[in-house]
Amino acid sequence: MAINWKKLLIIGLIVAVFIAIPLVMKLRTNIMNLMITLFIYITLSQSWNIIGGYTGQINLGLAAFFGCGVLITHFLWESGMPIYFAVVGGGLSAVILAGIIGLPTLRLRGVYFAIGTFALAQVCRTVVGNTFARMVQMPASYIASYSIVPRYYLALIVAIIAIAVVYFLINSKLGLAMMAIRDDEVAAQVSGVNIFKYKVLALLISAFLAGLAGGVYAFFRLSFMYITAVFSHTWTFEPIMSVIIGGSGTLIGPILGSIFLVVLSEIFALKLGEAHLIIFGILFILVVLYSPHGLVGSVDKARQLLTHINRSISKLRGEIQA
Amino acid sequence: MGIVIQAAAYGIVVGAVYGLIALGLSLLTGVMKFLNIAHGSLVILGGYISFWLFKLWGIDTYLSIPLVIIAMFLVGLVLYKLALSPLLKLPNIGMRIDTSMLITFGLVYILDNAMTILWTPNARSVVTSYTGESLGFLGAKFSVTGLLGLGVAILTAVALYFLLSRTYFGKHVRAISQDAEAASLCGINVHRTYLISCGIAIALAGVAGVIIISCYSITPNSGLSWLLISFVVMVLAGEGNIKAILPAGFIMGLLESVSALAVGAPYREVVALIMFILVLMFRPQGLFTKRG
Amino acid sequence: MLEISHIDIYYGELQALWDISLTIGEGEIVTLVGSNGAGKSTIMKAISGLLKPKSGSINYDGICLDRLPAHRIVELGISMVPEGRRLFTQMSVLENLEVGASRKTTKEVKHNTIGWIYQLFPILMERAGQRAGTLSGGEQQMLTIGRALMSQPKLLLLDEISLGLSPLMVQEISRVIRDINKSMGLTIFLVEQDVYMALSMAERGYVMENGRIQYQGDAKALLASEQIKKAYLGIGPTEKRAK
Repeated sequence: MAINWKKLLIIGLIVAVFIAIPLVMKLRTNIMNLMITLFIYITLSQSWNIIGGYTGQINLGLAAFFGCGVLITHFLWESGMPIYFAVVGGGLSAVILAGIIGLPTLRLRGVYFAIGTFALAQVCRTVVGNTFARMVQMPASYIASYSIVPRYYLALIVAIIAIAVVYFLINSKLGLAMMAIRDDEVAAQVSGVNIFKYKVLALLISAFLAGLAGGVYAFFRLSFMYITAVFSHTWTFEPIMSVIIGGSGTLIGPILGSIFLVVLSEIFALKLGEAHLIIFGILFILVVLYSPHGLVGSVDKARQLLTHINRSISKLRGEIQA
Repeated sequence: MGIVIQAAAYGIVVGAVYGLIALGLSLLTGVMKFLNIAHGSLVILGGYISFWLFKLWGIDTYLSIPLVIIAMFLVGLVLYKLALSPLLKLPNIGMRIDTSMLITFGLVYILDNAMTILWTPNARSVVTSYTGESLGFLGAKFSVTGLLGLGVAILTAVALYFLLSRTYFGKHVRAISQDAEAASLCGINVHRTYLISCGIAIALAGVAGVIIISCYSITPNSGLSWLLISFVVMVLAGEGNIKAILPAGFIMGLLESVSALAVGAPYREVVALIMFILVLMFRPQGLFTKRG
Repeated sequence: MLEISHIDIYYGELQALWDISLTIGEGEIVTLVGSNGAGKSTIMKAISGLLKPKSGSINYDGICLDRLPAHRIVELGISMVPEGRRLFTQMSVLENLEVGASRKTTKEVKHNTIGWIYQLFPILMERAGQRAGTLSGGEQQMLTIGRALMSQPKLLLLDEISLGLSPLMVQEISRVIRDINKSMGLTIFLVEQDVYMALSMAERGYVMENGRIQYQGDAKALLASEQIKKAYLGIGPTEKRAK
């Protein structure tokens, strides 16, 4: 794998900027909240990107892995475990959940995986809603010692991990197998690729990241008015939206899409309230139908168009001269 | 023992509803290869239409069925034209199924939130002169609404069966679901058949919604849980096996209500999920189809 | 009757056919032969409406077929027997035939047409109630041809009907085809890998290679020509074909 030093430098610079921000400036809380939310969305959308964008398996129950991470991290942390360990614990619990639904369904066609994950999210929501009291709280000592900065860094680290995982995945053997499965499952199978194994691996990695994101959220929010809200299908839909609008199956796409989503949410939610979700839904459908490669795809298309125009102009020039 | 029989009575009625919803779903999946995640939300929409017909003009729920059918048929046509027909241009069927899942998932978002904004999140149900009345039958009490609902569901299923097996339209539908290209080579207008089938499927959803608002209640978000169990019914019946759907629905309904005695009502979805996983692991072709 | 003028056909970005022109006269049997992947089925798909040409035109009795959907083309009187049979395997033999008559006709006409098909292929009458998927390869081919004939076409397109069939079966089916052509004047256009069978049956032939038409002319003359003998019939010294 040849290392592109220029690219690495630019990325390093961006990361350094993000690390430095809270140290150098004292930002308003709501901006910090926004950034943390953005990092969580980046993590979740990269998670879906791995199983949906690169492996082509539509996961409709991302919320289950996220919510599971939230819950487990919350209780581990409450019981005294340091937060970083608790978050990892959250991630691992999501992996276990993924195994439960993934093993039976990934052997069959993608439809069953989609329905199965969707069912998992529904069931988790119902079970959690009935098992726990509606409100889940942290002891007062935790609330008193709340500071936004550690949350920022945890969220940033997890987001960087998510992006790094996708980056290394794309360039690995596993990534190649995943994309082969996405593009033509039958061809991959007859080429000797063990599609079940790779699908499961992709799912487990994806679930781990989603669980980590849940852990970050648990650290971020501390208490929950309605615990079932962390299993809401919104936590599945919005990451999917980010991925598709940004560009499914690309590294940058989910990042762009998450920024788009978070910024738009901020702008719209104030004015429209609930109705902004409807606009997102419509936007999502339009993108899927008419611009399935998202923003990244549009940039590519624009680039192609420019090249085409350039070529036509040179041709014309050449003909005039001749 | 009496409790079990009573639970069975309850299970048969709810099972009929599951079967009816699964029929519409199955029509879309089998013929057009679309997976309609928004089907549950459309069921609820049908329920709301019936509710408002009752609230505003006093039309009895079961008499409102023809109106709901017409309205939902039109909704189906619009849905096909706007959101689903563009998918037919996709190069392969796998992409079509995947994309239809994504689109209809987005549609759930739009529909459920729109219904919440329009009609509030409060639960609605229709209370008529005969709601709450019940008849004794084979040692169990059947609510009148339940019996009416059961009757409507069975009638609708039989009507659909006749449509598919005895009419030209039905033959076209069956031919298309086996080989759409060959069907067009036989002179069948595939797009028009798709359009009408979509209308029928959504109309079926509407009828299910009417039964639900009469026997149970609806909230704007309840569509998904109905959808989920109907998916499992589809899996139980086996792919493409339309005849087995209503029986599979009954089985699911019975299973659910009997196990509710043991684990409690809110866990019905858990039962469905476990059923789903078990069937996929041990009999993925469904309970009614022979392997191969 | 059918005139194809300078069509180019693409599969997405990939060009499959270059500047194809051919004509089929009423009542003729015309054939297009060539090796695998030469593009023969592509032409059939273009005529029947499953594929659209990027440039050029296809004219049938003066009507331009380019933009018409497949089912409209059937209504105009062109019927195709697709490659690989493509039967409705879950439906019975009789139901397959009935579906083939989707062009608007009366019940009586449909009934009579089925009777005629049974005369051509008696085995189908025997198997009328059986599921199409349970038939043998030859019987399936007969059913597919019968289904295509149900719409009472004026031009019948046959795409690789000899594939997977025993020589005896191929002979039998060819005989039936030649009979319908003679007795009813049904125009036949067949595409074949079995060059010998095709050129023996046809009056005129086209030879296609790599998406282009290389030779054309009287079928018997083509059969006797040196190039064809060498390239397709394995007669003569083996040498690489000059591009």
